[in-house]
Amino acid sequence: MKSARLWLSFGAAILCAVWLKPAVWGHDPEAVKTAPRFERREIELPIRDFTLTDQNGRRLSFNRLSGRVVVLGFGYTSCPDVCPLLTATMLSVQRRVPENQRGSVYFLTITTDPEIDTPAILETYARRYGADLSNWAFLTGPPEALEKVWENFRLRPTKKARGLVDHTPLILLIDRQGIARFAYIGVSPQAQILLQDLTGLLKRSS
Amino acid sequence: MDSIYAQRCAACHGFSGRGDGALAASLPVPVPDFRTTVEQNSTAQIRRIISKGKGLMPAFEPALRPSEITDMVQMVRFLSREGREIRWWERFDTLVVAHCSVPWELVLGYDEPADGGK
Repeated sequence: MKSARLWLSFGAAILCAVWLKPAVWGHDPEAVKTAPRFERREIELPIRDFTLTDQNGRRLSFNRLSGRVVVLGFGYTSCPDVCPLLTATMLSVQRRVPENQRGSVYFLTITTDPEIDTPAILETYARRYGADLSNWAFLTGPPEALEKVWENFRLRPTKKARGLVDHTPLILLIDRQGIARFAYIGVSPQAQILLQDLTGLLKRSS
Repeated sequence: MDSIYAQRCAACHGFSGRGDGALAASLPVPVPDFRTTVEQNSTAQIRRIISKGKGLMPAFEPALRPSEITDMVQMVRFLSREGREIRWWERFDTLVVAHCSVPWELVLGYDEPADGGK
């Protein structure tokens, strides 16, 4: 039994190390040609609770979303290339969730650039995209709080210049128990695939 | 300023501003070709788009300083008029920096279109 547990822990450690091997987006237009377009990985990553500030300046704790499937993306508002695609993909998924399941799904966008992304700037960004803010929050916070959250997701944003931050282009699907089940990495995520996995998670844990 | 363009614009707009950046094909909407769109807009309108964003294009204010946004406006105009790649401008970077206090219009002989104060 003890040995089985040991192997399980070892397996989990390997899985965590592998699921998000560095695929950092470097804002290099030439690198787009070789960057992964879209990669879907099945994972099992428990999410530690965190509390951040939403676009209205209100505190939001991840644990409060327990019981819902969460679509979580990382990005920042002045990102010139990949983040708009991630936000557009999440928006497309949000609009295609059936009406009777909207209450069971929540969308989170967590900034990778707290220096620029204040709640007011996030609010303008969300409105410009037409995101339905009844089940989507755009989160920011002090760098030290965000660093803990990024660390949970093996994300290491690196500032290149003011308003220019390298980070992994990442969206995650998290089940109702707060365990991330799917990771989508790449510059061109597919809304249809996300929606299929989301529907599967909703059925699995309803 | 060319590095700002390369880092923040070229992935979608392309190095020559023709809307043929490496990421353009992944976007759900076509990227405008500067040669046909920029001249239809006043400097103030271009500045507003760069500062506030439009569609999928991000708002570069306040990430960029006002002077950097001015440089971006100029670069967009150069690309639209000259049809030259951004790399062509890199050859003149030293000259540009050395003469940064001289208005671009004087250096290149352009007149900015009248904005009517917009």
